[in-house]
Amino acid sequence: MLFALPVLLVFLVFSWGPIVKGLVMSVQQTNLIDPVKWVGLENFRYVLSDPAVGQASLNTLWFTLLALLFGFPVPVLLAMFLSELRGRSWFYSMLAYLPVITPPVVAILLWRFFYDPSPSGMFNTILGHVGLGPYLWLDSPSSAMPSIVLEATWAGAGNAVIIYLAALTSVRPDLYEAAELDGAGVVRRVWHVMLPHLRSVLLLMLLLQVIGTMQLFTEPLLFTGGGPQGSTMTILLLIYNYAFVNGDYGAATALSVLLALALAVLSAVFQLATRGWSTE
Amino acid sequence: MYRPPIRSTAALTTSLVLLAGLVACSSAPSSSAGAPAGSGQVTLTVGDRPSSSDPANRASFDKKVADFQKANPDIKLNPVETIWDATTFQAQAAGGQLPAVLNVPFTEPQGMIARKQVADLTKVLKDDGLLDELNPNVLKIAQDQSGNVFAVPTAAYSIGLIYNRDLFKKAGLDPDKPPATWDEVRAAAKTITQKTGQAGYAQMTTNNTGGWMFTTQTYAFGGSIENEDGSKATFDDAPSKAALQLLHDMKWTDKSMGQAVLYDMDGISKAFAAGKIGMYMAAPDQYRTLVQTNGLKSSAFGIGPMPQQGGDHGTLSGGSVQIVSPNATDAEKAAAIKWIKFCYLNKYVNQDAAVTSAKNGVAAKLPVGTPGLPVVNADQWSTYQGWIKPYVNVPLENFAPYTKVAADQKIIPEPPVKAQEVYAALDPVVQAVLGNPKADIPALLTTAAGTVNAKLGR
Repeated sequence: MLFALPVLLVFLVFSWGPIVKGLVMSVQQTNLIDPVKWVGLENFRYVLSDPAVGQASLNTLWFTLLALLFGFPVPVLLAMFLSELRGRSWFYSMLAYLPVITPPVVAILLWRFFYDPSPSGMFNTILGHVGLGPYLWLDSPSSAMPSIVLEATWAGAGNAVIIYLAALTSVRPDLYEAAELDGAGVVRRVWHVMLPHLRSVLLLMLLLQVIGTMQLFTEPLLFTGGGPQGSTMTILLLIYNYAFVNGDYGAATALSVLLALALAVLSAVFQLATRGWSTE
Repeated sequence: MYRPPIRSTAALTTSLVLLAGLVACSSAPSSSAGAPAGSGQVTLTVGDRPSSSDPANRASFDKKVADFQKANPDIKLNPVETIWDATTFQAQAAGGQLPAVLNVPFTEPQGMIARKQVADLTKVLKDDGLLDELNPNVLKIAQDQSGNVFAVPTAAYSIGLIYNRDLFKKAGLDPDKPPATWDEVRAAAKTITQKTGQAGYAQMTTNNTGGWMFTTQTYAFGGSIENEDGSKATFDDAPSKAALQLLHDMKWTDKSMGQAVLYDMDGISKAFAAGKIGMYMAAPDQYRTLVQTNGLKSSAFGIGPMPQQGGDHGTLSGGSVQIVSPNATDAEKAAAIKWIKFCYLNKYVNQDAAVTSAKNGVAAKLPVGTPGLPVVNADQWSTYQGWIKPYVNVPLENFAPYTKVAADQKIIPEPPVKAQEVYAALDPVVQAVLGNPKADIPALLTTAAGTVNAKLGR
């Protein structure tokens, strides 16, 4: 108990304290200087009546869905591919991990340059050689979110690859050998040996990814500022704008509380629904 | 796509932690401008000391601090490197960590006044006599509706039309005659695109700059954004529609606005300095960003007054004001005014100070003599211009079209209530017009007006 005390204190001061403070602020109106005004559920009423919140929720769900469809399988496939390469796989793992080392701000500014919508933009020039484009990328409401998913997948895949690879190294080599002796090809080895071993890791990563992607912030802030036409305005960016642009802390904390509640419910449902899946 | 576990679990509550963590320490706000009780001495924390990466300006700032303390032995200054930043300002205000004096841009005072984050300076300014020396037109930026003054303007500009003189020449246009009306802007933009292949005109659209520039344009078309007491949106009318229709026609009929829709201040400066944009709306102080930061040839820089449409309506202003911490005592406020005068305004009223400041600017390779609006009254302003004339290092002739008109052009302040929230609601309107050829302009404005009215009512 005595040894746990420092940890407890740190959590208390830097994690639980702020959470409680946030809950309290969501029912207050404050400029952080004058005495606070208790306003009950007024902040929640205001936030729920703001049309931007509805759009931001849809945008956030849209990003989560896209990220799940395209971003989630990529690292799984990459990890399987890398684990099949005997010998030089460390080199390819390093390549996959490099984007993670790049600071997000630098990466995003670089990609903004790649996404230049004029025909002389980098991606447009490359695609132009094979007769495609020019595309508007970030500058069109329909392609802005997919463009962000593309960058985010590139930036985040490395982490997941390392974790999947670690899980795959725990597979006993004799299982592969047995499968090969039984005449199993690559596809059947993946299906019958690798995937079952990855199952519990996959489920955990899925939940973490959903929670993570629901909190998309840096990319829209730096790429688009929420535009064009609000198509990349996410809940977290809206919270940021409420707090730091408008100075409306009540609304910002109220929306934060709503987001935390939604994620808590989602996690609980996910846990219940998948209870049986991760055990053999 | 996957985010590291440690970040994700923590991030479940990031939003709460982020916000509340910043204010957790606010329970006992201490005045950063605290004076030792009983002594006649006032200690003042003053912001905006240049960082050590800018040694020339830092030295000149430090010398001002030393000189000021010598001249005012009862005031002790504590210079800090704090500068205004949208995100840190709120946290500093919450933690009682604001310097007693801080430089903030023109877009901010109205919001700060509404949130009571700045000190009321009316009385100390009157006692000091400074109130009468300031340009009353510019002072409006820092006043509430009953005329109380909450900040001291120390630099002012009006928004005009920046243009690339080289592109004008290439397109066969006269670089000394920038467009004076929006019809002329449209024609010039079309010519530039046809002759050079670059975007003839571009406009900022993101992070509230869209609403900000739309406001400027609406003013130039004779419209307004809010009614006088800021209780209702007024942009759902003919001038705003005409302004947006013009943007629509330039983008989709003339195709003279390029492909990019999303521009913030930084993005548009880079694209303009790279020669990809013929014209855009901005204030003359952009000269420094364009030429020094982004490498535009100074000979290619041109600026004219804000083009008008259907009459002489006016333009929006920009610049900097000095604010005083809301925690300051009366003695500290008085000391703060003395410092603001000494540091920022002395050069306009004192020849030695003017010459020293100009010489320092030249030595530090900063633009000296960038034209703007007078923050002091008109006579004093022209005397000041005479003092610094030998040190001016910006091509004044390139500013001539602007300077000839700007002094007399009416300047209109920002919307009086919740300007930033109004701008945020207008960003998507401008983006829609520039992003969608079939955008329904009246419907967009009506929807945005509804959103804004809900915010004004809060």
